[in-house]
Amino acid sequence: MRPSRLAVHAVLLAYTALATLPILLVVMNSFKTRNAIFGEPLSPPDGLTFSLIGYTKVLRSAHVGTWFANSLIVTIGAMFFVLLFGAMAAWALTEYRVRGVTALALYLTIGVMVPIRLGSVAIVAMMRHIGLNDTLLALVLVYVAQGLPMAIFILAEFIQQIPRDLRDAARCDGVPETRIFFEVIAPLLRPAVATVAVFTVVPIWNDLWFPLILTSSEGTHTITLGVQQFLGQYITDWNSVLSALSLAILPVVVIYVIFSRQLISGLTAGAVK
Amino acid sequence: MPAPPQVAMMPRARLFGLMLFFLGPAVAVYTAISIYPLLATMALATYRITANGDYEFVGLSNFVALLSDPSWSKPFWNAAWNNLKFFIVHMLVQNPVGIALAGLLSLPDLTGKSVYRTLIFLPTMLSVVIVGFAWNLILSPLWGVSEGLLKSVGLGALFAPWLGLPSTALITLALISVWQFVGIPLMLIYAALLNIPEELVDAARVDGLGQMRIFAFIKLPLILPTIGLVSVLTFVGNFNAFDLVYSVKGALAGPNFASDLLGTFFYRTFFGNQLQVGDPAMGAAVATVMFFIILVGVCIYLLVIQRRLSRYAY
Amino acid sequence: MATLALNHLNKSYGETRILKDVNLTIGDGEFVVLVGPSGCGKSTLLRMIAGLDAPTSGDIHIGARRVNDLEPAARKIAMVFQSYALYPHMDVAKNMTFGLKFSGLPKPEIDRRVADAARMLQLEPLLARRPRDLSGGQRQRVAIGRAIVREPDVFLFDEPLSNLDAALRVSTRVEIAKLHRLLKATMVYVTHDQTEAMTLADRIVVMNQGEIAQQGKPLDLYYTPANLFVAGFIGSPGMNFFDAVVRRSEAGTMTLGGEAQPDFALPGALVPGARLKIGVRPEHLRLGGQGPLQVRGAVELVERLGEVSYAYARVGGSQIIAEVRGREAPQAGVEAVFGAAAQDLHLFDEAGRRVASGSHP
Repeated sequence: MRPSRLAVHAVLLAYTALATLPILLVVMNSFKTRNAIFGEPLSPPDGLTFSLIGYTKVLRSAHVGTWFANSLIVTIGAMFFVLLFGAMAAWALTEYRVRGVTALALYLTIGVMVPIRLGSVAIVAMMRHIGLNDTLLALVLVYVAQGLPMAIFILAEFIQQIPRDLRDAARCDGVPETRIFFEVIAPLLRPAVATVAVFTVVPIWNDLWFPLILTSSEGTHTITLGVQQFLGQYITDWNSVLSALSLAILPVVVIYVIFSRQLISGLTAGAVK
Repeated sequence: MPAPPQVAMMPRARLFGLMLFFLGPAVAVYTAISIYPLLATMALATYRITANGDYEFVGLSNFVALLSDPSWSKPFWNAAWNNLKFFIVHMLVQNPVGIALAGLLSLPDLTGKSVYRTLIFLPTMLSVVIVGFAWNLILSPLWGVSEGLLKSVGLGALFAPWLGLPSTALITLALISVWQFVGIPLMLIYAALLNIPEELVDAARVDGLGQMRIFAFIKLPLILPTIGLVSVLTFVGNFNAFDLVYSVKGALAGPNFASDLLGTFFYRTFFGNQLQVGDPAMGAAVATVMFFIILVGVCIYLLVIQRRLSRYAY
Repeated sequence: MATLALNHLNKSYGETRILKDVNLTIGDGEFVVLVGPSGCGKSTLLRMIAGLDAPTSGDIHIGARRVNDLEPAARKIAMVFQSYALYPHMDVAKNMTFGLKFSGLPKPEIDRRVADAARMLQLEPLLARRPRDLSGGQRQRVAIGRAIVREPDVFLFDEPLSNLDAALRVSTRVEIAKLHRLLKATMVYVTHDQTEAMTLADRIVVMNQGEIAQQGKPLDLYYTPANLFVAGFIGSPGMNFFDAVVRRSEAGTMTLGGEAQPDFALPGALVPGARLKIGVRPEHLRLGGQGPLQVRGAVELVERLGEVSYAYARVGGSQIIAEVRGREAPQAGVEAVFGAAAQDLHLFDEAGRRVASGSHP
C-alpha cells in the first residue's frame, strides 16, 4: 500500500477506536464484579471476574420492560403518523398547484428550524388542560409535530421525482384522487421511508426532554428517561449503573448494525438536498 | 382519447375538500403543537404570575429583568456566554473533524470504507443519557480508567477531574457532545462529496493535482453550501442543547453553574429546583429570548450565507 | 509529440476480464480512433493510457518512456472528457490555467498558452464566464482548450461528442479534425459512433469484448473487414448477411447456394459443404442490379430521405436493407429483386473470419 494510504488508514483506525472504545469499555465492564471493575478496568471479563450481578439488580429493580415498551409504542406510533400525515401533506403540496400552496409549504417547513422545545411551557399547560398529561399519547402528538416538517421536506422532494405519467394515466382511467394517492403513490415511497426514519426515529427514541416534562409516573417513562432516573438513583452502584447503560446501548447497537446500510444510504440520499 | 382531467379543471369545492383531507391532519398537529405553543409562550412571557396565581400583564418587564436585574441577568448571561463557548467548540472541533473524516472516507478504492463509516457513526445513534453517563464514568477519578490510560502513554500529569472543575467542565461536556455528534456533519458532507462527479476528480488528476490539493481546491469549494447548512444546524442544535448537561450534571448544571446552558437555565426557571420555585412566565421569557437568538442565527444563514454560496449543478 | 505503444495489456476486475492481451502501436502525430459497442473496453483502455487506472499486466510506453508507474500529469498527456468535467466554481480562463499553476511554469508562459488556445478555439469572449453560463458546444471547446494548453505528447478524447446535439456534433467533429491538422498531435479518440471513427481517424481500432477485432485505415475496414463483427459494425446502415453453403467447387470456381437466393458462382476454391456467411452492404445491393447475387423479396417499408431511400424487404426469413437512389423508389408491398456485384460480396467462414475469394482478397 502506498505510504499515503497507510497514513489514511492510521487516522481512520485511530478515530474509529476513539469512537468505539468508550462503548466497549462500558459494556465489557458491565459483566465484571465490582472489584474487577476497579482493579482491572481495561481487561475483558474472564472466568474469575465474570459477573451478572449488575444485570440482575437492574432487571429486578427497574421497570425496564415497561420503559422499553413505552419507547417502542411512542416511537412507532409517532413514526407511523409522521409518515402518513407527512406523505399526504407532501403530496398535496407538490400536486395541487393552488394559490397559497407555496406559502403553506413554507409555513410547514420552517418547522425544521423552529425548536419545538421552546413552546414547552404552553405544551405542558395544553396537555394538562385536555387531560393528556402523563400519557404516551401526549408524547406521540409532540413527536409527530416535531417530525412533520423534515418529513414533509424529504417526502416532497421524493414525490416530485415520481414520473407524472403514472398519475396522469390513473386520472385518465378515472381513478379518484384519494385512491391515486394511497394505491399508486404511497407504495412508491418506500425508499423514502428509510430517509425519513433516520431523521425521526433516532431523535424520538433518544429524547430526554419531553418525557421529562410530560410524564411524571414511572409507568409512563420511556427507556431513555427511565435509565437516566435509574442512573441518578444508583449512582454509586457501579455494577448496576454499567449494566443499565449496557442494556440501553445494546438494542440500539444491534438494530443499528443490522440496518446500517439502509440507514446510511437513507441519510446520504436525503441529505443531498 | 379525451385529455386527462387536470387539477386545474377540478371544481373548486372538490379541490378544497381534497386539500383539506390531505393537508388537514399535518397542518392541525403542527399548528396546535409546534406553532401555537410557541406563540402562546411568547405571549405568556409578557405576563407575571401573582402570589395568588393570577396572570398580570406586564409588557416587556420580564425581558428587562432577564437582561438587567442581577438576580436574573447574572445566570442568564452566564448561560448565554456558556452556550456561545459550547457552540464555538463545536465549530472548531466537530465540523473540521467531520469534514476531514468525510474527505478520507470518500477517497476512491478505500478498503473497509463501510466498516469505518458504520463504526464512526455509532456514537450518534446512542442516547445522550448513555453517552453522558459513560463518559462521566470513564473520566471519573474514582474509576481511574482515563487516568490509567494517560499514565500508560506518559501523559499522566495531564489528568484532572475535568468534569468536576468549573474551569474545564463546560469544555469537557462540549467535547463529549462533539464526540457524539461528529456523525452528522460527517454524513452530510460525505453525501455532498459523493455528489461530485468522478470525472471532475479525473480531470484534476490529469491536471496534475494530488489528493490533498484536489480536496482543498476542487472538493472543498464545491461543498461549501453543505458546510453552511451544517453550521446552521450546529447552531440551532447547540443553542437548544440540554440533554447532555442535564444527564451529567443535573438541572443545576454545576459545578457552580459552570456548565449551565440556555437549555438548562430555561428548564430550571420554568420547573424550579431546590434553589428556586418554578416561574412559568419568566421561563416563557427565557424561551422567547432563546427563540430570537436562534432566529437571528437562522436569518443570518438564510439571507447572507445561503445567498452567497451557490449550489453547483454538474 | 510522441508515439504510443501498448504491449500485452490486460485488465481484470476480480473474475471479469475487461481487456484481453491488447497490443497497439500508435505513431507520432497519428489520429487513432478506438471504436466499439459499450462494454468493449475502449474507455478502460483510454483510462489506462491516461494513468487513471492501472493495468493488471502489460506495458505502456509513451515515446521512449515506460509510463506504467507514472501519475497522469507526469505522462505528458491531456484528456477531454465526455461531460467536459469543467470546474464549476472557476471561470473559463481559470479552468484552463488551473493545472498549469502547479506545474511550475512561469506566469508569462501560462498566459501565452491560454491566449493561443483561446484564439484557436474562439474562446476569447468567454474567458471570464463560468461553465454554467456556457452552452454545451462552448463547454466542449473550453475542455479542448484546457487540454491544448498542457502541450501534451498525446491527446486523449473520451466520447467528447456524445453529450452534444446532432448539429453541434457535426460542427465540433470538423473542429477536432482541423485541430489535428493544425497541431499535428498524436490523438487517441474513443467513441461508439462509427461515423465519427470513419471521418476523423487516420487509423481505426475496432474493439469487441476486450480485444481488437481489427485495426487499419477507415476505408480498408470498410472495403475489407477482417471478420463478421467489423463488417457489421462499420457502415451505416449495417451490412446485410445471407447464409450460404458451398455446393460444388471445381477449377477455381465455387457454386454457393442458400435459402434466400438462387445458386451462383464465384471464383474461389473452398471445400464443398463449407458453411459461409455472405455480406453485402445496403449501398451495394441494387434494385434490379446485375451481379451473381440475386435476392427476391417483398418490400415491407421504404424510408425516403430525399435523394437516398432505404428499402426494407423480407428475403427468405429475414429482413434486408437496400439503398435506392433517385426519385423513384419501390412501393411497400411490391415484390422486388436486388442484385450485387461479385466485388461487393464479403465472405466469412463459420468462425466469422474473412475468407478470400477470387473476386475479393
